[in-house]
Amino acid sequence: MNKILFERGSVNHIRIHVMPTKRFKTFAISVYAGIPLEEKTVATTGLIPFVLRRGTVSYPETTQFRERLENLYGAGFGFDIYKRGDHQIVQLRMDTINDSFVQSNESLLEQSFSFLGEVLTEPVTENGSFRASYVAAEKETVRKKLESIINDKIRYAAERCLEEMFRNDPYRLHPLGSREELAAITPESLYSAFGSWVENANLDLYVVGDTTLEEVTRLVEKSFKIKRTEARQYTPTNVSFETGDVHTVEERLNVNQGKLNLGLRTPITYGDDKYATALLYNGVLGSYPHSKLFINVREKESLAYYASSRYDGHKGMATIQSGIEIANYEKALEIIKNQLEAMRQGEISDLELNQTKAMIRNHIVEMQDSAFEMIAYDFNRVISGKERSPEELLAQMEQVTASDVKEAAQTFHLNTVYFLKGEKEE
Amino acid sequence: MDKIHYEQLQETLYHEVMDNGLQVYVLPKPGFKKTYATFTTKYGSIDNHFRVEGQEEISVPDGIAHFLEHKMFEEPEGDIFATFASQGASANAFTSFDQTSYLFSATENIPANLETLINFVQNPYFTDQNVEKEKGIIGQEIGMYADNPDWRVYFGLIEAMYKTHPVHIDIAGTVESIGTITKETLYTCYNAFYHPSNMLLFIVGGVEPEEVFELVRTNQAKKNYQPQGDIDRLFEDEPAGVNERRRVTRLPVSLPKCLFGFKETRLGITGEERVKLDLTTKLVLDLLFGSSTELYQKLYDMDLISDSFGHEYNSDPNYAFSAIGGDTRDPDELLRVVTEEINTLMEAGFKAENFERARKKKIGGYLRMMNSPENIAHEFTRYRLRGGDFFNVLPLYESITLEDVNQRLRDHINWDQLAVSLVVSPE
Repeated sequence: MNKILFERGSVNHIRIHVMPTKRFKTFAISVYAGIPLEEKTVATTGLIPFVLRRGTVSYPETTQFRERLENLYGAGFGFDIYKRGDHQIVQLRMDTINDSFVQSNESLLEQSFSFLGEVLTEPVTENGSFRASYVAAEKETVRKKLESIINDKIRYAAERCLEEMFRNDPYRLHPLGSREELAAITPESLYSAFGSWVENANLDLYVVGDTTLEEVTRLVEKSFKIKRTEARQYTPTNVSFETGDVHTVEERLNVNQGKLNLGLRTPITYGDDKYATALLYNGVLGSYPHSKLFINVREKESLAYYASSRYDGHKGMATIQSGIEIANYEKALEIIKNQLEAMRQGEISDLELNQTKAMIRNHIVEMQDSAFEMIAYDFNRVISGKERSPEELLAQMEQVTASDVKEAAQTFHLNTVYFLKGEKEE
Repeated sequence: MDKIHYEQLQETLYHEVMDNGLQVYVLPKPGFKKTYATFTTKYGSIDNHFRVEGQEEISVPDGIAHFLEHKMFEEPEGDIFATFASQGASANAFTSFDQTSYLFSATENIPANLETLINFVQNPYFTDQNVEKEKGIIGQEIGMYADNPDWRVYFGLIEAMYKTHPVHIDIAGTVESIGTITKETLYTCYNAFYHPSNMLLFIVGGVEPEEVFELVRTNQAKKNYQPQGDIDRLFEDEPAGVNERRRVTRLPVSLPKCLFGFKETRLGITGEERVKLDLTTKLVLDLLFGSSTELYQKLYDMDLISDSFGHEYNSDPNYAFSAIGGDTRDPDELLRVVTEEINTLMEAGFKAENFERARKKKIGGYLRMMNSPENIAHEFTRYRLRGGDFFNVLPLYESITLEDVNQRLRDHINWDQLAVSLVVSPE
């Protein structure tokens, strides 16, 4: 396979990563701003991008801001706020058409950088602070977002399971914080938090497209009007945990279908040499339609439409999720626990192992067809401090044996069982 | 093998019709690692009443197209997912109102995976036992959607608009309707709609077109398909007006969900004309409700909408409708302001400047979509089955005029055709 090659540079302690390629019809741009996930800053940091997307010095009104994006041939602009290990990440994205497909007088890449640079470093202000009406409206938007989590029961159950699992760890926090902390934010407090965020956060800027490191460096120098005095590095995530009793939580809501979520902890993380083994553990257990959970919960017993597992190497954890008939709780839980036990006993056939390897291989290779996925993979390197190219990961994965997976299975400890059920007694 | 080059897009499409009528399209993407293939039948949830030429007319249970999709994955030797997994392919399928697609995505063993895809879809294996087993699984799928307020508000809108057309029936059916499905009814539907002449195979990725065509030719030649007559899809007359003005669904939600839309009156249009009408309608909706419009900003400032506010236009020769909305604290106030503002706009028409900008945005969005093999395969197939050409969208966008858009505005936004769907918390 071709190597994923990013060229690296730095401007103003913003790390720059550029992959020159003509394969795509667009320029994909991502900025990652990361700070430690902490109760006192999580809500404020989460609100910042919402206010930044309302207006800049050149485009102070939101309609102007959005018209500007449309004039850049509907450049995709968006942001996400999420947790990666013990860090709160704000990701800003742009996806702009390569000029060769449209008639444009100025370079769309250059214009996109002017825009993005302004969004991040020159928001519209009044009286030395954020515009108050924008802050008020966006607080309301975020409040509604937090309240709406309950509308989607799959997501709600997943969030609740995490909260219970990490009840003594900042990882319990929602990436947008809590409604109480949000309510206390003022335009002034937010603007001051913004100043220190942009000064102190880890900043990584990625571009994939038909450009060069030199060009991007010049564009960042020109468009990102900040002076950062210090280089920042991500600190390692705390993955220690206690292996005590399983914490069981049942909750009632007005639902037709019950949601069963399990949380497991493991000391194996992205930076660990056993990372590839953990990927295989998760794959054999529940990531695919050939996995134990799908076969046993869905295909053999018809208990569920979905039954799957997910592994998060940044926090050292795995989750299992399934939607079931409420009355089938005990039966489904038992079957799921049996699969965990089968993994610990090393009941892993060559077929299961090889199918899982083929699926993971497919995933790693096809990542190269997506600019944003290549960026996301490379960012794992930045945040974990572990250099592991996709080729190395593939090679490591091929070496894993069933007994390695069995060994890894001993490190996955069931921590929490969360069940969301109906209001009526069954 | 035909070759069509699209200069503006820098794409070349290859096409061939097999002897049995199967349409095959290949879009090579040099440099791409992945191959993505979809195998689609023009058969969806709305096709519940039909007659194959020379056979009897038949009505089948609601949700059967989707049920059939689930059951196709089972073969005498076991679950086909396992075969795909052994070959490193990620497989899936989905059923919509008017089509069912089977697909895989893989970076290795492409010929083997392609054969697997074609063979499993062309080899139905239904038993009493495996049909019964599936009822529990799909029952949980139905239960999952029943708890999903976004799905409920969307279907509520279609139910409010349509009285007889089966588009208003949930794609998965109900627990009761799927309870009546047997292996015999599945075979009846399979034999009617899975004939190669009713199907389309699309392959995109790092492939060599002639190799793909040769594989498909050889594969199809081995299967003894006899010509099949036309399929008559039977629909009762649907009234032009809406079924109900307003439909309310009770489900716990943090804020009411409000979706409104207009039931289309210009029907029976196919091919390029239909595509142009769709694109024009989508431009109208974007000019009215897009996030850069004055109306959007006004509604946002009044705290009547949130980021969830959006719009779409869904069309077919026999039904079409717009759907606009999202979460709101006050559905009535939202509708009042929208009505007032749109009436003002309809008198004046759109500004040329706004129209040009909206079109630019649409063109950019279209080009960005071209980065994704999945989107290309899905969109191309959807357009093709309706007689359009997805790769010909740029010239169509360029041909749309301000007059077209203003005409379409006055045409589609017809208050007599308005229906509203709400999801609100139980009292």
